[in-house]
Amino acid sequence: MTVFSLVLLTYFMVVSGFVYDVIVEPPGIGSTQDPATGAVRPVVFLPGRVNGQYIIEGLSSGFMFVLGGIGIVLLDLALDKNRARSVKVSYAIAGISSVVIAYVMTTLFIRIKIPGYLR
Amino acid sequence: MSNSSTSDLLKPFKLKTKQQELLIRVSILCLVYILAFITRLFSVLRYESMIHEFDPYFNYRTTLYLTQHGFYDFWNWFDYESWYPLGRIVGGTLYPGLMVTAALIYRLLHFLRFAVHIREVCVLTAPFFASNTTLVAYFFGKEIWDSGAGLVAAILIAVCPGYISRSVAGSYDNEGVAIFALLFTFFLFVKAVNKGSLAWGLASAFGYFYMVSAWGGYVFIINLIPLYVLVLLITGRYSMRLYVAYNCMYILGMLLAMQIRFVGFQHVQSGEHMAAMGVFFLMQVFYFLDWVKHMLSDTKLFQEFLRITVTCAVAAGGIALGVGMASGYISPWTGRFYSLLDPTYAKDHIPIIASVSEHQPTAWSSFMFDFHILLFLFPAGLYFCFKRLSDATIFIVMYGLTSVYFAGVMVRLILVATPAVCLISAIAVSATVKNLTVLLRSKNKVAQIGSTKGTSSAKASSKASLDQSQPFQKNGAMALLFGAFYLLSRYATHCTWVTSEAYSSPSIVLAARGAHGNRVIFDDYREAYFWLRQNTPPDAKVMSWWDYGYQITAMGNRTVIVDNNTWNNTHIATVGRAMSSYEDEAYEIIRSLDVDYVLVVFGGVTGYSSDDINKIGGGVFPVIKEPDYLVNGEYRVDKGAAPKMLNCLMYKLSYYRFGEMMTEYGKPPG
Repeated sequence: MTVFSLVLLTYFMVVSGFVYDVIVEPPGIGSTQDPATGAVRPVVFLPGRVNGQYIIEGLSSGFMFVLGGIGIVLLDLALDKNRARSVKVSYAIAGISSVVIAYVMTTLFIRIKIPGYLR
Repeated sequence: MSNSSTSDLLKPFKLKTKQQELLIRVSILCLVYILAFITRLFSVLRYESMIHEFDPYFNYRTTLYLTQHGFYDFWNWFDYESWYPLGRIVGGTLYPGLMVTAALIYRLLHFLRFAVHIREVCVLTAPFFASNTTLVAYFFGKEIWDSGAGLVAAILIAVCPGYISRSVAGSYDNEGVAIFALLFTFFLFVKAVNKGSLAWGLASAFGYFYMVSAWGGYVFIINLIPLYVLVLLITGRYSMRLYVAYNCMYILGMLLAMQIRFVGFQHVQSGEHMAAMGVFFLMQVFYFLDWVKHMLSDTKLFQEFLRITVTCAVAAGGIALGVGMASGYISPWTGRFYSLLDPTYAKDHIPIIASVSEHQPTAWSSFMFDFHILLFLFPAGLYFCFKRLSDATIFIVMYGLTSVYFAGVMVRLILVATPAVCLISAIAVSATVKNLTVLLRSKNKVAQIGSTKGTSSAKASSKASLDQSQPFQKNGAMALLFGAFYLLSRYATHCTWVTSEAYSSPSIVLAARGAHGNRVIFDDYREAYFWLRQNTPPDAKVMSWWDYGYQITAMGNRTVIVDNNTWNNTHIATVGRAMSSYEDEAYEIIRSLDVDYVLVVFGGVTGYSSDDINKIGGGVFPVIKEPDYLVNGEYRVDKGAAPKMLNCLMYKLSYYRFGEMMTEYGKPPG
């Protein structure tokens, strides 16, 4: 159990682009200047390249991936015979909603990041 | 009446369940095999059958030489047309697996009287081996989990963009063959550990030999397998099967690997291979201890003996390693692999490695691009593997974790992680689908049991509540199954889109959208090389930046000064210095190198960006200082640029008569 949570933590760090953050040292969040008003607006997703990120976008995407993985694990736990029925149902609902949220958010992120996605 | 006659007609075609299952499996595998081949053919259909990128041109040229002159001349070839005036010992500085494989396929096809050109064979080698990889993935999945997981693994790896990126038709590079060899070696070794047979161990040694002959990434195998054996020993899973498998594979594999000249004696001399040797000796210690335990009946005495022996063995190993490294016999880790363990090393010490775009660390979007939903399925698959630990699942978990970490350090290594991610995700998919289908089928059984056993009131009420939830569960399971299939179909769509848009570009022919949305093809590279071939004397020497060296020798057929092998950093830095000096200094350097022509790639008209000459040149010649070329830290090429920039050779060659160029009607020139 502890080994599995350690493994998940390592996976989260790698997939969020931790090594990229350490070496390239991008800002936590980008900024752009609005041409009309001159105000400075934050930019969450680094535009233009596939292999580039800001720190926060990396962490949030990594969290979504781990959430999806945990959702599938919860689904498997929900099908385990030796638990009370209410626990099984709540696990199932949590699992399904985790997977759905993770998938939808990840697709949304990649659509924002890569403008021509799936066209 | 008609019913029985049709059933009589179909009787010879009616199969038993086992045969039906076999038919389904074989047909799925055939379809997956064809799919893996077809999805890699986009660029052949769009442009033509040509070799992509830079490195494959060198491989193509050597394969051409091999088919024309035979293996003995190829193995002893000294190439005087590259790295003028140094030359290159080709036979001793390449991995021959890819060329020999392509040459063998070529010979086989000619034997069957198919008169194909060697270029066609080279272009289609990678998709062919990708199809073979799907078969290996099926057998590997069957070994680790069950045949259902094997089928899903085959399907996932057939279309996974992480693998497609380096194995499209035309990408004639070592990785196309090496990933097949990698997965094959791992499969054979896991099979050997499961069976404990000498035959499978021997097969895995030959698989390892093929991998060593194919790619420098074999270092991953020779470190992962000892690490796996160590983990098994620590978790108390030592067995005779493991002993037989590892010994056979290590000794025979090491002896076979030394046949490749490029590898030579590295297996006993290089620090990167010492882990395997250490684990080998540790295995002997374990065997010895096992034998002593078998002979001794007194457990307390044995414990003492165990402690003494293990301490002595570890101490002896440590001393031997220390002596080896101190005396210089065992060389330390090379920069390429050391930068994997310490990612900040390359940026500070080896700029030429740090400049390659494939060696950058990975951002989340690259992972998503190359793996899509496999990123969700990977942690779930790890959970299932932990639930059912065996020798084989421990291996795949270790392979998955180490390869995903390395993929995070370097974008190029996503390729090595792909088989592991596909296999573990396949386990997750297979286990989940199995759970759901069991739920779908369970209703009938419960109803039968309820009717055969007697009923008491308690049982009746519980049965009633169970019957109430059954349809809900059945519908829920059906909906979840549809959800799973929907996700997998989105995965397939994503993979095909990525293959079509991102990974099917030949890099030597560029395409862009013109002003009216029409497709404009830039074939400038090949036209330039053909011009060199037609219009320069045969012994002319061409100087260019190292990226284009292989292409110039292969297509232009002229001698070059530096090329992509980048084995001599000072030579490259000399070229860099020539490019970035004032014209008169550059002329001196160029004449000393005996150069006749200079080739520059200029992207100013199309907005094509390029490489970092200053860092590489400045690493050897401190005279080149990057701040001299920038204005306030900014890169400018107009009138306000730094004087050093305006007068250096590269600028003068690129912007020669740029002022007379008209980009668009109505806009001022230049």
